[in-house]
This record gives sequence, structure tokens and C-alpha cells, in this order.
Amino acid sequence: MSGIDRTVTPPAGPLRDFSFPAVTRLRLDTGLPVDVVRVPHLPVATALLVLPAGEDTLPEEHAGLAVLAGDALEGGTHHRSGVEMAEALETIGADLDASTGWNATTVSLSCLADHLDRGLTLLGEMVLDAAFPEEEVTRVRGQQLARIQQRAMDPGALASDRAAAEIYAPGEPYGRPILGSLESISGVTPAALRGFAESYYRPAGGGLVVAGDVDPAEVEAMALRVFGAWTGAPPSRSIPNGAHRSAARRVTVVDRPGSVQSELRLGHPGAPRTVAGYEALVVTTAILGGTFSSRLNLNLREKHGFTYGVRCRIGYRRGPGPLSVATAVDTAVTARAVAETIREMDRYVREGPTEDEVASARDYLAGIFPLRLETTGQVAARVAELRVYGLPEDTWAGYRDRIRGVTRQAAAEAARTHIRPEELAITVVGDADSVVPELEGLDLGPVEVQNP
Amino acid sequence: MSGTGPSSNELEPEAERVSRIDFTFHRRTLDNGLRVVVAPDRTRPVVAVNLWYGVGSRNERKGRTGFAHLFEHMMFQGSAHVPKNLHFELVERAGGSLNASTWFDRTNYFETLPSHQLDLALWLESDRMGWMVQAMTQEKLDNQRDVVKNEKRERYDNQPYGDWQERIQRMVWPEDHPYRHTVIGSMEDLDAADLTDVADFFQSFYVPNNAVITVAGDVEPDDAFARVERWFGEIPRGAPVPTIPGRTAVAIPMDAPATEVVEADVPLPRVMMGFRIPPYDDARFAALEVAASVLGAGRASRLYKNLVRAGVARDAFCYPFPLVTGASILLVGATGFPGSDPMGLADAVREQLRGLERVTQAEVDRGLALEEARMVRALEGLGERADRISMSTMLFDRPERVTEELDELRAVSLEDVQKTAAEFLSTENHATLAYRPREVEA
Repeated sequence: MSGIDRTVTPPAGPLRDFSFPAVTRLRLDTGLPVDVVRVPHLPVATALLVLPAGEDTLPEEHAGLAVLAGDALEGGTHHRSGVEMAEALETIGADLDASTGWNATTVSLSCLADHLDRGLTLLGEMVLDAAFPEEEVTRVRGQQLARIQQRAMDPGALASDRAAAEIYAPGEPYGRPILGSLESISGVTPAALRGFAESYYRPAGGGLVVAGDVDPAEVEAMALRVFGAWTGAPPSRSIPNGAHRSAARRVTVVDRPGSVQSELRLGHPGAPRTVAGYEALVVTTAILGGTFSSRLNLNLREKHGFTYGVRCRIGYRRGPGPLSVATAVDTAVTARAVAETIREMDRYVREGPTEDEVASARDYLAGIFPLRLETTGQVAARVAELRVYGLPEDTWAGYRDRIRGVTRQAAAEAARTHIRPEELAITVVGDADSVVPELEGLDLGPVEVQNP
Repeated sequence: MSGTGPSSNELEPEAERVSRIDFTFHRRTLDNGLRVVVAPDRTRPVVAVNLWYGVGSRNERKGRTGFAHLFEHMMFQGSAHVPKNLHFELVERAGGSLNASTWFDRTNYFETLPSHQLDLALWLESDRMGWMVQAMTQEKLDNQRDVVKNEKRERYDNQPYGDWQERIQRMVWPEDHPYRHTVIGSMEDLDAADLTDVADFFQSFYVPNNAVITVAGDVEPDDAFARVERWFGEIPRGAPVPTIPGRTAVAIPMDAPATEVVEADVPLPRVMMGFRIPPYDDARFAALEVAASVLGAGRASRLYKNLVRAGVARDAFCYPFPLVTGASILLVGATGFPGSDPMGLADAVREQLRGLERVTQAEVDRGLALEEARMVRALEGLGERADRISMSTMLFDRPERVTEELDELRAVSLEDVQKTAAEFLSTENHATLAYRPREVEA
């Protein structure tokens, strides 16, 4: 008696509009851009201070220094020890964290909106007045060294780091682990961190983004008070070329005897965030390996049961970040999983997606966009991206329409241009004795075995 | 806190901030026993649908450990009117996200999607609640068994410290307690499972009278109730859910401490301690949450200040699990540096626990301020909000508890923290698991 037909997919109701929340764009006289987004649903706020201090600016011998500088900010200021700073922040329930990536260091404050003024003041003090005391630098450096050692024993992390080294030419920043190496980090001094902060923690090339239950005029007043006297620009920063180590396909096996699974990474240099036709590329990687219903996941997981899951993605950066297929598979099926992955990639590049796949990916990406703008942190991060990559201010306003405008031809073209199965560096972390003979049998190129 | 009834704290300035969370909750129970909560929030065109089934690894019988989780995988393999893989495909195509998870006491299934697609989620969820078993085949079972085995290899077997849960659970819980075995379970047990097990499990536990559904977001309450009724109303009520196997009543605290030192392929020494504590729905749980916050939340916490900043540990953590079957568990741990002795690390952690006798009001206030801000932030996303509403409804029969929980925390006094810490975070009441990195032969 319910009057419903279970045998057909129920029709959707009327679509409700969604627009990216309005951004109030301000700029202090010193050059610091201040973007404010009013998100009034809950009494919370997120502030992101983007600093032009990413790992991609550093030469190899200083690899990991930007990460260490960001993490050592918690060591305190000239006016407050690290413990006192943490107490001041946590007494108002605020979380403050610095995270450093290839493109930038982002210091994020998250608190109840009522405490934004106080929180921003503390954030400003932490960054502009950072002391990098000897004892704290020694401690944070020790932690980074321990993390580097830890990554070497985590098969997934090890695979990603080794894959990067196989994908990029020697000397390319993207080819090294973002934490640096034992050699590059062991000798870092407080003076080196102070020098780095002095050079790179500058308003030009960065920005402040605040999202939450806030008033733009009030935020501007706060920004002026906290950052009004902060001036300067970082040294000129080149964008990594992301040069390929070798365009010849090859297999690298990192031997981890006794592994019950093989971690697989198949990749080559991808495209920068500012690539023309970004949306078509996003659609194309979604179809190949970006969703549960992607070609790779339906094959490797749902058809063959080789894996818990597989993804293909491009790590978008200022320069060409890696295109990478990542998965972990049962040791016994390692070669079969590699073969199926390459078969799917070959076929996808050769034939392109179907109309239906493109329509499905467009619907998915356009639909999921507002779902990922639920929190003040998510909204602020999107706005900050514009600053990091120098993207046009209307990027998000027009994003869904551009996604909806991606044609089958454009998605197929993006696949042919940006996905090159014959150039893949294939990295396998697993039990070499078990997997090498069959991998050699696949005839994908030379197979080299390395120690971890 | 409108819609949650009058609050005696309304005049307190602290409470006023939270009172700006303007949630309303509407609830009904269908004739078949399905509890329905609608929490409207029309600020964005998004809706979250979240179902909690009152079944988890605690309900597994001997010889079938891990089955609740395997069954969760099978719930995505289609139902009478939904072909295999279509579940994911349709929700993704609608621009939604979805998943499920299995834990000790419950299994949850959830979708977040554009609000005009609400019927899609209700169709898919009701079809598998009502008509899942008809679509099961041996091939699907074999395939998902392989997927789960790879999940276990990826997340546990091939991970440093990946067996910690199994080891801690074996020490904290007696032989016949339902928390004795892990959620991922034994692969031999999974091998032994067949389609009859799938049908039995479905019939026993996946019944409307053992479930809560929450619809949160861009909906009008009456319309949402009508839709839930339309899709779920005709599913027949099931028999009462079978009692949990084993013996759920346990002594709290534990009778005797236990220690295990493991030499393994781990990068750094690590110590983990499991304390047996009162269950999540016990009045004393709030004080333990505050104690955990004083100990381990934030960089001004005792563990961070006295172990991490002091250079003794690389990291340290403390949190209680919100479990409800007889008792729960609080976990405290720390990771050392190359060469440090894990048992020395254990002593350092114990010293911090003993120090809770002298906890100050300022520390309690700091912990509460962090909990408040984190709780409000956790409610920002509709998916998380809906999950907390389902939990509060299933465990406490009060959806409003998602915002009231903070009042319970605020009511905790300094003496409460000192007293519960002395009683439950004692040296006698815990199992210690220490990992020592295996010596590498040169």
C-alpha cells in the first residue's frame, strides 16, 4: 500500500541551487591579502595563514627544512614559551597547527568564533615572533628524524617515497621525501630555521583566509592589528619543472621479505594545478580511478578481489605533481594486479571513456562539490588554494559549470595527453622472491630489485 | 539548544555560546520498531542519511569472528531490486558520498548527498534492510571474503604495530567476554562462513526493530518522515535480537594487571596500556573523558608537556572508547625514540597517570574548553552530525544528547576527576603492551 515501485531508481526531486559562499576580498597596505567568508551556520571559525614557504623552494641539501620550521613554531616566541603558548590557546579551546607541503606552509587556527580575535593574536605572535629556542628545535628535529625512520618501515609510505624517486629526475624536489633525509635534517640549527622564517614567512605570495561566523569588517580590523606591521616578500621562487627520470617503462621492486601484501605505485609526472583543461583531467582520472565505481576499482577489487581498494590520482601542485595509481594487493596476485592495471590504463587511453562514464563522473564531481564545503575549514582551504596557485578569483564560482561542460572528447583528449602507460615507473614494495619471477614474465621493461 | 527542552544552564555565559547551536530534533518510531530521527538544517542543499544497526563484533558467535564486518561488505553487493555495484554507482552519480563501518557494538551505513536525491538513499537503504538476502550468491561471498582478507593484510598484518588491538583485547577482556576478539576477526572463521550464515545474520540482526535511521539536513520534517515511512514502513518487524554470546558482566576495574613485551618489525619502541573502565552510558564515564582530556588532549596536556616536550616520547595519546557492553576501555600510550626502553616508557606514562591525583581546576577548564570547541566543530559536517544523532538515539534513546553531552562534561568536578582517576586509572587496572624493535642483523 505504500505506492512505490522498488524496481526502478526513484526520480530526483527538484535541484536546489548552490553557490560558493561570497568571499570578501581585502588587502592590507603591506600587501597581505585577507579573504573573509561568512559561514554563519555554527559559532565556529577557521583562519588559515598561507606562507610562501613550501618544500619545493629548497635545494636538496636542505630538504625537509620547511617542514621542520613549520613544526618548530610550537616551540614558542620571544615572549612566551611553547608550553605557555599552548596553554593560552587551549584555555580558549583553540587548535593551532602548522602544516607544510610542497607549495606552502599553512598555519591554521580553529576555534569558537567568539575567540577569533584572541586566537588570531596568538597565531600572529607564533609566526611573526617565533623564537626557535635551541631545546625545542633539538626536540622537534629528533621527532622528524624518527618520522623519517618510521616511514622507511611503513610499506605504504616507503612505496610512495620510492615511487617519487623513480618518477622524477635527480635533483627534482618532487622526487625526494617531503620530510627530507637523515642527512639533510640531522644538522639543522636554530639559526637555520630563523633564517628560513626571516626569508620566507612574508606576506607577499601568501595570504590570510578566515571563514566562519564572523563579520568581514571586524576581521579586517583584527588583521590590521595583528599583521599590519608585517612586510616583505620571499626570495623569488621558481616552479619545479617536474622532469621525468626516464620515459622508458620499468619495474622497481623494493624487497621486504615476508610481506603478506605488495604495495604498488604506478606513476609518471602528471600536471600542475594550473594546467589548461584542469576540469577535463579531473573528470578523466575520476573515471579511471577516482571513485568506487571507477574502472580500476571495479576490476581489481570488485571483479578480482585482489585488493581492498585502488585509486588513481594526480597530486596537484605548483609544478607537475605525480599521476599515480596506488593500491595494496595480496602477494600471490602481485603480477596479475600490475598486468590488469596496465591493461585498464592502456584500454582507457586508447578508447577513451564512454558517454555514460563521462556523464556519471560529471554528475559525481558537480554534486560532491558542495558536500565538501560543509565546514569552515573546508571553505577556507578552497579559498586558500586560489592564493597558493594564483588562480582566478572566480575559480570556484564557475567550477561546477565547467565540470558540467566537460565533453567525452575533452575527457578522452585529457587521458591521451596526461596518462602514458608506456612511461610508467612501476614500484612494488613486497617480498621480492615471491613477486619478481612473474613480474619479469610480464615483460613490462627492466625489473630492478632494491633493498629498503 | 532550542528543541532540546529547557536547560538549567542557560544563564551561564559558557553555556550561552553553545546555545547558539540551533538544532532541532524530531523523532518517531514506525510500527515495525524502526526509530526515525529528523534533524533539519536548511542552510545548504545537502542531506545526510545514517543508519545504525545494533549489531557488531560483540554479537558474533564462536567460530564466526569477523562475520559482522564481512556482512557489512555483503550489504553493498546488491539487494532484490538493486544489482551488484549499483549502490555505489548510483550514489556517486548523484554526487553523493557513502560508506559503512563495523565496530564492537554497532554497524553503521551512511550517505551524504544533494538533498533532492533523498529518495535515492532511502530506496537503497530500505531495499537492503528488507530484501538483501535474495540477492546473495556464493560468488559475491567469495569475492568479498577476498576483499576483506586484503583489508586485513593492508590495515593490520602488513602494518607496524598492526596487531595491537588483538593483543590488548586479549589482555583486557576475559575469555568469554564479547570484546575479547577483534572486529576484523579470524580469517579461518571467515573461510568457514557460508550463505546460510549470511541469511541467519540478516534475519537475526538486520531488522527494523534493531535499527535507527537519522535524516539530517535540507529536509522538511513531516515530508522526511513520510518518505521514511513510505520506504521502510512495509518491512516486517523481526524477532527480538538474540542475546549477546558469552558473559558481558565483568569486574571493573580488572582483577590483575597483565604485561606483554613483543619484539617485532617496528620502527620505534611503543607502549600501549588498556584500562578497563565503566561503559559509555555509565554516569562516571564523563569524568574519565575529562581525565583523558587533561592527560592527552592538546599540547598543554600532561602527556605532551611532560613526555613529548621533555623529549621522552615522540608522541603520546589517551582516549576512552565509547563502548557499552558491560564495560569499556581507555587507551593510553606513547612512542619512544630509537634505543629507548619501552618498559621505561611505560613507567614514565604511569607516573603521569599517578599525577592525576593532583590535577588542578585550570587543567580541567582547559580540557573542557578543548572538548567544547571540538564537539561544536564535529557537528559542522552533516554526515558526522547524523552519525552522532544515530548513536545518541540507539544508546541513550535521546537524539538531543549530541548537544547535551557537553553539559554532562561541564558538570564534572575536580573531585570527580581525581576520584575516578584514582579508581580506574590505577596501576592494577591495566594491561601493558610494549613493542621493542627487532634487532637488525648487520
